[in-house]
Amino acid sequence: MVTAVRSEPQASAFLARADLGSLLDALHADGRTVIGPTVEDGAIVYAEIGSVADLPIGWRDEQAPGRYRLAHADDERAFGYAVGPTSWKRYTFPPRVPIGRARRDGDRTTFEPIEPEPPALAFLGVRGCELAALRIQDRVLAEGPVTDPDYAARRRASIVIAVECTVAGATCFCTSMGTGPEIMSDGADLVLTELGDGFLVRAPSPAGRELAARLPLVDAGEDRLGEGRAAVAAVREAIGDPVAIEGLPGRLMARLDDPRWAEVAERCLACANCTLVCPTCFCTSVAQTSDLDGFESVAERTWDSCFSGDFAKVAGGNFRARRQDRYRQWLTHKFSTWVDQFGSFGCVGCGRCITWCPVGIDVRDELMAIASPPARRPLPVAVATQPGAFVPGRIASTAAETPDTTTLVLEDVDPRIAAGSPGQFVMVTVPGLPAVPISVSRFAPERRSIELSIRAAGPATGSLHELPAGSTVGLRGPLGRGWPVEAAEGRDVVVVAGGIGLSPLRPLIDALLADRPRYGAVRLFHGARTPADRPHVSDLEAWALRSDLELAVTVDRADETWTGPVGVVTHLFDDARWDGREAVAFVCGPERMMQATVDTLRDRGLRRSRIFVSLERHMECGIGLCGHCQLGKFFVCRDGPVFSLHELGDAFVLEGI
Amino acid sequence: MATTTLRPRVGVVKLTSCDGCQLTILDLEDELLALTERFDIVDFPEATSDRSAGPYDILLVEGSISDPDQVERIHDLRARTRLLVVIGACATAGGIQAMRNWGSVDDWASSVYPDPSLLRVLDRVTPVSDHVKVDAELRGCPISPDHLREFLTALLVGRRPQLPDEAVCLECKRRGYPCVIVAGGLSCLGPVTRSGCGALCPAFGRGCYGCFGPREQPNVVALTGRFEADGLTRAEAGRRFAGFTAWAEPFRAAIPEDGPARPIRAASRGASHAR
Amino acid sequence: METSSSIDLLRDVPFITGLGGAERRRLASFARVVSAERDEVLLRETEPTPYLAIVTTGRVALRMRVPGRGPVTIATVEPGDIVGWSAVVAPYRATSTAVAVEPTEAIAFAGPQLRQALETDPDLAAALYPRILRSVARRLEGTRLQLLDLFAKPEDAAW
Repeated sequence: MVTAVRSEPQASAFLARADLGSLLDALHADGRTVIGPTVEDGAIVYAEIGSVADLPIGWRDEQAPGRYRLAHADDERAFGYAVGPTSWKRYTFPPRVPIGRARRDGDRTTFEPIEPEPPALAFLGVRGCELAALRIQDRVLAEGPVTDPDYAARRRASIVIAVECTVAGATCFCTSMGTGPEIMSDGADLVLTELGDGFLVRAPSPAGRELAARLPLVDAGEDRLGEGRAAVAAVREAIGDPVAIEGLPGRLMARLDDPRWAEVAERCLACANCTLVCPTCFCTSVAQTSDLDGFESVAERTWDSCFSGDFAKVAGGNFRARRQDRYRQWLTHKFSTWVDQFGSFGCVGCGRCITWCPVGIDVRDELMAIASPPARRPLPVAVATQPGAFVPGRIASTAAETPDTTTLVLEDVDPRIAAGSPGQFVMVTVPGLPAVPISVSRFAPERRSIELSIRAAGPATGSLHELPAGSTVGLRGPLGRGWPVEAAEGRDVVVVAGGIGLSPLRPLIDALLADRPRYGAVRLFHGARTPADRPHVSDLEAWALRSDLELAVTVDRADETWTGPVGVVTHLFDDARWDGREAVAFVCGPERMMQATVDTLRDRGLRRSRIFVSLERHMECGIGLCGHCQLGKFFVCRDGPVFSLHELGDAFVLEGI
Repeated sequence: MATTTLRPRVGVVKLTSCDGCQLTILDLEDELLALTERFDIVDFPEATSDRSAGPYDILLVEGSISDPDQVERIHDLRARTRLLVVIGACATAGGIQAMRNWGSVDDWASSVYPDPSLLRVLDRVTPVSDHVKVDAELRGCPISPDHLREFLTALLVGRRPQLPDEAVCLECKRRGYPCVIVAGGLSCLGPVTRSGCGALCPAFGRGCYGCFGPREQPNVVALTGRFEADGLTRAEAGRRFAGFTAWAEPFRAAIPEDGPARPIRAASRGASHAR
Repeated sequence: METSSSIDLLRDVPFITGLGGAERRRLASFARVVSAERDEVLLRETEPTPYLAIVTTGRVALRMRVPGRGPVTIATVEPGDIVGWSAVVAPYRATSTAVAVEPTEAIAFAGPQLRQALETDPDLAAALYPRILRSVARRLEGTRLQLLDLFAKPEDAAW
């Protein structure tokens, strides 16, 4: 005869497979109905279990977005599946529950809530994610300022026997949500882990210990404990970490007008399957059943869904009329606003909404598309990427561009700097002066040379601007993310430069012209303060002579000799005939000028994801360590200085970011 | 509402239909007596020999408009009715007979009748709402007894009838049936069909046939995409909508142009067409 | 200044796109093509504005007289945009001198007739005024940006 072992919360005992029935017997002896997994209608659902034979012995589930099939393996495992379509809320929060009665008797009208009389149940087979879901619903329905008495009573009347997962479902992501596969939440009375020949058993609660005392348990032993740990660890390994949840609430709320919402709404049926299979969704409606005279009426709480048409309807309108509004409501509630309301995510990563969506919409993909985690962009290949380190560059010659701008032609430059890409910059320093970020205005890798066009705007740039040929400067670079020339392949290109903004664009124009057939029409617009303030005049003149490039230059203020356009740079193309819908634009200049330009380009049909701007911020290191150049979630020095409008979002227009 | 006040005068009329919805009214058996105490059923050929030409406080209309006489009749009835309620897929959507709209009525007539010249039918079968203003509708094929009960109770008690505009999927999930699309690869119209039947067909492992017609904002395109992914051709997927509510938009637009079915040509006049 | 009476108002001039047939015919009745050589003056500051014109090719400079500085070009007008909006705004006198800086062509609508048409034809007015207003608004926005002198050397730069 096997002696019963009194289980400690952390210690594990062992129950032989043949003795599993004793658990059911003990529960039945307590007057409980056991609810557990069983095969029905082609799925493993939670229903009443009479004996061990009712369990899904040897059954596996194969899950994928929108697909669920059972398969039979040739073994004795009773819990060799992940999760099925039903969740425990079917029993804690049933689909239709009478909650109140109203009676009209002549002049007297009475309202009385209906007292719950829940059956004593045992939930057998609660997964880690499901245990977490029970705790989440506890917080929503029973631990807030108002308690749902029916839910609370049913929870009190049921005992929870958790079973750790020893198989991974293809749609599971409990690992990311921190809810499994190990049993992580409290609230279980017994925890089982299925091994080859039986179950590890531990009893975290007094009720569980009392139950365990009646089972023929033996000491588990290190081998069995190891087997259990390994099985669950293998599940964790198989699932990986599909959803980056760090910072997810904020990232989601920052993308409330992401175009992806409309795109997923095209695929979504708004059929409410996801919300009804979800173990934490709790939205309900109240239906009235009354007699013909309305003398007696029973109110019933029924499962409803935020995807249904009438859900957000009021007299005169519907607050969420569009499918995309409803989808956005659901996803942002689960992964963002739930945190504000209840202190945790609403999602436990069980994957049901993915499997049971008839069109297979996968929230893991949607979250990635809408709220992708910040990419810690690797630095481009650069030299001297260490605070305090610089490599020398010799000024071979200088050329005055305008009264306040000089181009320094550097030679003997580190080949990696000379081989940088259009739009990248270098940190430039001379002893005693702070390092400043200067865009490279020409790359000549074959000569190991670069050009820096420096506008004297302060002491450091003023000094650099005065340096004579022969001087040595310190360089760090090439830094930052440059112009995505490849985005322009096969497309019309619009380049808009404001003032000295022409300098960071010059290497881009060099690149476009060096491989001209790859691109469509190339249109270059430059705005300068006055004719005398145009930088790179010789390039402008050379470009003006080309027939494969359209060039227009305007000035804010003309002089007597100027016969060209006068006015802001946008007036050069805001009445033009060309269609911008498939074009790509590269814009550089003072930020206010870029904003006006971007507005005009949008009017011409260009897409936000195809408009690129180069931003300027205070930089002291250029390598993302000094913190000065932060813009929202970006460091302009390493995530930029070139950005698409789409990725910048509000960061481009809001003050003070 | 006490029974001493005037009971609402109720009529039930039949156009082109199978009578199933009227039978559903009669199926309310035990409550019929209680109902007749509160409603004055003045005209209900299926149930009583009393006749009345109106006026009606409430007129339940079963059936589609299929012949010219019915057009005249429904206008006439509308003029004499306070609340006109259409009941059933025939009246709300044209019914199964509307599938003849994809072909020519002459072809259909010739394939069924030895001497079609005796028929007077319209080119197209249409729902009642195509002809007169309709005040309320009870959908289904047949209508749901629960909906009917709720509708009549609501009229008496004074509340808006609780007839939710939601997908069949909610009924299915409330009852705990695993989705037949996901678990069975069946082509079920539940996600685009309005609830009311209690998810009857999925309960028996069949896909929904769309009896209650399109729900609000049905995403027919996405659903047919799923059917195609499960192996149906585009035409087959579209034909899944060719049923009891085929003529209701956007089910109608999903059905291929050559229609849900074709008339069987009679070999010669007067020949039997039985196959 | 050459004028031509052959009107082809079905030309796809963006300013006119979207106008109904009746409106176009009405406009055509008092429209003419105006051509200007380089340095030819189309409008003179403070003088009655003879027409509102849509530039179709070339470029027109708008100049204002500044005592002691002579004429200063404050803006230029590209094809597609208008000169002479003052033809429909009292006191109907040009607010700047418009000079062609290149050989230029424009479709011109005579001032008095245009004003008369706008007053008597509400449909034409409803179609044209928003277009004229939009053009003037953009010119105002552009002028404001010019005024901001965005390319000027910053007063207090970090380096």
